[in-house]
Amino acid sequence: MHERQCGRRWPALGLGGALAASAVALALLAEPVVAQEYVPRQYGTFPLIGSRAAVWVAAQLHLFFAAFVLGVPMFAVVAEAIGIFNREERFDKLAKEFTRLLLVSYAATAIWGAVLVFALITLYPGVWGYLAEVFDVSMWLYVGLFFVESFTLYLYYYGWDHWRTGRAKWGHWGLGILLNVWGTMVMFIANSWLTYMMSPPAEVTPDTAPGMVQLWSAIANATWMPINIHRLIANVVFGGAIVGAYAAYRFLKASTDEERAHYDWMGYIGNFIAISALIVLPFAGYWLGREIYEFNQQMGTTMMGGFMSWLWIVQAVLIGVLFLTGNYYLWVGMGRIPGAERFMPYTKWMLVVLVLGVIVWATPHTMIANRDEISAMGGQFHPFLGVLGVMSAKNTAVNLMILTTFLSFLLYRRANRRPVVTWAPRATVIQGAFFVVAAVVVVFYGIYGYFVPAIVRIGFSVYQVLAVIATIVGVVAIDVFMMRGAESRGAIRWGQMPERSQYALFILAVTFTWLMGLMGFARSGIRQHWHVFEVLQDTSVDAATPALGYASTVISACVLIFLSLVAFIFWVGGLAEKPVISGVSGSHGAAAVPAMRDD
Amino acid sequence: MRTNLKVLGVVLLTLGLYTWVANAIPQLESVVPEALTFSADVTEAEIVAAGEDLFTGAGACTTCHGLGTQAPNLLTDHEGQGTIGQRCGTRVEGQDCKAYIYESIRNPTAYVVDGFIPMVFESRFFSEAQVWALVAHLQSQGGEVTVTPEDIQAAQAADAEAPPMGGPATAAVDPLEIMRGNLCFGCHLLNGEGVTGVGPPLDGVGARISEDRIRRALLDPSAEAAEGYEQLLGSMPPNLPDMLTARQLEVLVDFLLQQR
Repeated sequence: MHERQCGRRWPALGLGGALAASAVALALLAEPVVAQEYVPRQYGTFPLIGSRAAVWVAAQLHLFFAAFVLGVPMFAVVAEAIGIFNREERFDKLAKEFTRLLLVSYAATAIWGAVLVFALITLYPGVWGYLAEVFDVSMWLYVGLFFVESFTLYLYYYGWDHWRTGRAKWGHWGLGILLNVWGTMVMFIANSWLTYMMSPPAEVTPDTAPGMVQLWSAIANATWMPINIHRLIANVVFGGAIVGAYAAYRFLKASTDEERAHYDWMGYIGNFIAISALIVLPFAGYWLGREIYEFNQQMGTTMMGGFMSWLWIVQAVLIGVLFLTGNYYLWVGMGRIPGAERFMPYTKWMLVVLVLGVIVWATPHTMIANRDEISAMGGQFHPFLGVLGVMSAKNTAVNLMILTTFLSFLLYRRANRRPVVTWAPRATVIQGAFFVVAAVVVVFYGIYGYFVPAIVRIGFSVYQVLAVIATIVGVVAIDVFMMRGAESRGAIRWGQMPERSQYALFILAVTFTWLMGLMGFARSGIRQHWHVFEVLQDTSVDAATPALGYASTVISACVLIFLSLVAFIFWVGGLAEKPVISGVSGSHGAAAVPAMRDD
Repeated sequence: MRTNLKVLGVVLLTLGLYTWVANAIPQLESVVPEALTFSADVTEAEIVAAGEDLFTGAGACTTCHGLGTQAPNLLTDHEGQGTIGQRCGTRVEGQDCKAYIYESIRNPTAYVVDGFIPMVFESRFFSEAQVWALVAHLQSQGGEVTVTPEDIQAAQAADAEAPPMGGPATAAVDPLEIMRGNLCFGCHLLNGEGVTGVGPPLDGVGARISEDRIRRALLDPSAEAAEGYEQLLGSMPPNLPDMLTARQLEVLVDFLLQQR
């Protein structure tokens, strides 16, 4: 009965009572919300792979596309210039085909850039806010330049046939130069943001408000210019390698001799560009490394001797593959050049030098070991690796590998040519002397380096590098004059290239792309648990820098996504417009002329 | 189709090779240093273990000391003197092992072992408790651990009162105290204090270089090197300007200018 009464009385409280109770409850709930100040979150979350991997993939893919669209215009404009100055239309056509690849890749670059920005805004809003406050003006400039660059590209490509003769052609070439200028400026601006995160100016401390950081001082930080130069060269290497792989694919799919000849030639030029620029790249790398050490010794030591130390062994494996594959492609290519057979006996010795060089370069010197491991090894240094793994041996190995690769190019270039100048025999002896002297200098300082302190030994690498550069410059200068008016031993049989050589171009493209991802990890990873080194700490769950195994998986995934997208984009681009065949003669043509006029 | 599959195979094989190589080598991760908190009844074993974690992990000590090329390997024998726990008590006359290791961490250029170049190591990122844990771990390498729970408790009290990281190294306005607080004598010699053979001696510096040059050397230490010391360019702490107040800077400039 009592229960029943109660049951009847609750509804009897009526709507007014319920509303009053609700109002009280709402007021109680709302009070703390009103009292709390809004605090923006520092980090977001991303499903499955996590925020770090999401931003990593977006940044890496944007960078791959950006490197391609910045590298290709450089040699497109050079190829167009060769076409203008030498009146060789095939170079003009080649430049146009390069630019067509550029055009179809441009949208993907912008899309991945947008993905990266949105990923940063949603997953790392704190860091993004900090950087935006430091770099706001430069970000506006960046967007403006990107706009201008896009329209310059449209004019450059779509105006190609319209402005193809007379003064209009010069104006068109000027557009190509402008395209490079805008692209380089865009890259320099973006580089300032990431290098600031690595090496902020000394006056910026954890207590410095981002709005108080001087913009120019933030831009012109210690590693900005070394990264600019390093990336400028690396973009050329990368662009050449991707163009080489594109040409290789078209070669394998070609249905006519003419098409095969064209893509054989294009693949050769792509590889020539990539390997030539690669030879210069280590010098820019030395500079960057030196600047990192000067900025912060601990950062430099972390990079070379700390948890990153094994990365250089992986890098050595990749560089070894690049040297071996690049030379292999050239040696196979000599099979289609009349007269090249006289050089073929030398290739096995060059292979020996390259293989030994790779073995030495990939030898670890010292490794972080615990007491048990040190006892098992018989001392702090392994008796064998301790000798071969030091920088003296490695610098010697890499310089000899560069010299050998240069020799391969030289032999390739001279294969079907017979100089007519009377002083050719003496010049050849001088060229040989250049090689011998450089090799002696490299080996001498390599051995001498074992007997001097580390601080002196570091300086020896400069002498070794200078000897190699002097040889490259000196020998090319002599060769250019010596081969003027040279007789031909027979036309290069473009298109008569075994299929296996084209797979070498794929290996080169994959390796260059992977190497770029690896070095990006090294550059970014040496900040360790700092967003901005020793200024803005990473307090997210992903603050620890992952080991190489995990990094390699992310890099491989990025490379695979990139190559798949590139393949799709190029395929779609090919549907809309047929590629230009340059007019390089097929297997029996008499007018086949490779790059550098080596007929 | 066959060509496509072949190309895909080459790409996947190449990627697989590199991924395998990177996974086959030792996997080293850079971990984030964590603040150390010890309870009042902390044991010696706990202190040593915390020090070991720091030494081999977030402290990144093995970056230099684990290799034996940049700095002596502390876990192995060095020139017949034994491991660090065995040799620490005999390195500096009148200084016991505990004090020697502590000073070596806080002032890394104080005792540069023969055959190695001085490294600018930023020990300011270590708390006092972390430093004492490191000392205990290093003592345990062949020696007796003399770091006590009282040392740890005192260190934690000091950490609680420590100024936020990034400010001046010392509040002193006496030039010699400023120099001691900023570890200048770890590399330079002045009136018999400090070391020789590392950085240029400061005796007579006022007669050698101008006031502007002295100020520049303090504000931008990596900009230019003293004559004969070019190879050490970059060895001065790059954050030196952040470690000095404006008054300390001017006090130092005046003081060094008077050294004739």
